Amino acid sequence: MSHLSTGEGAALTDAELVGRCRSGDAAAWNLLVERFSRYVYAIASQGFRLTAHDAEDVFQDVFAKVYEHLERLRDDTAIRPWIAQLTRRTCIDRLRAAQDVPQENLEPPDVEDLLSTLDDALSVRAALETLPAPCREILDRFFARDESYAVISEALDVPAGTVASRISRCLEKLKVAMEETVDDPRLVDG
Amino acid sequence: MIRVKTHRTEQLARLIAALPPPPWGWVAAAQELPVHRRNLDELLVRAQSDAALRARLIENLESALVESGITPTPPILEAARAQLRPD
Repeated sequence: MSHLSTGEGAALTDAELVGRCRSGDAAAWNLLVERFSRYVYAIASQGFRLTAHDAEDVFQDVFAKVYEHLERLRDDTAIRPWIAQLTRRTCIDRLRAAQDVPQENLEPPDVEDLLSTLDDALSVRAALETLPAPCREILDRFFARDESYAVISEALDVPAGTVASRISRCLEKLKVAMEETVDDPRLVDG
Repeated sequence: MIRVKTHRTEQLARLIAALPPPPWGWVAAAQELPVHRRNLDELLVRAQSDAALRARLIENLESALVESGITPTPPILEAARAQLRPD
């Protein structure tokens, strides 16, 4: 089994990752799941507002379909929109099974807007992955995991009084990383 | 195409927050899928020549899978049922 460090993983484009998954690379599969797990979760839970139980079933079902049908993906750079489409269809199937109403009535009207936001968010996350681990960690804990200064201070063993300034400095680094990497294919795949 | 055109820190913060992590166990289960699929395939091959195992799988699939160290997630159950279905 191969191993991908965080840095190596972040450097892989979506298309390279798909290629490595097709060749049976277990580490690449782990990374693919990690890279898109938040995306699938957000579509199911924020976009379609599924219960935790239904969202979990959709989540597992989507990755099972990705695993089974990866060979059929014609354009490896299109993995993100393909996963988005698979997730939308799986959510609709889930709702349809429970409600017995036509498919066109089941997609929330604002789902396109959410997908657009999530696509931007994935680009930011890709840039986040290029930052040093302490910055990645503190930004993720504060913004994505909604942890308090006190929790972050304890978890990362940093003085509570410095958490806010570290977050601010790391956001500036992320801003620079976004500006430096807008031409990076890793950020514009799909 | 450049998707994120402006990079105000407030916007970056909002976009980080837009992707909270799913529960850790969900990710782990999806990552283990290839291993479980391989184990399932091996188990089903064994069941072709082991009538008792096949009977256990048909009688109580979830328990039989757990006994064999395979997590019976819905996709695994679906794949197993499809392969156990008589032709």
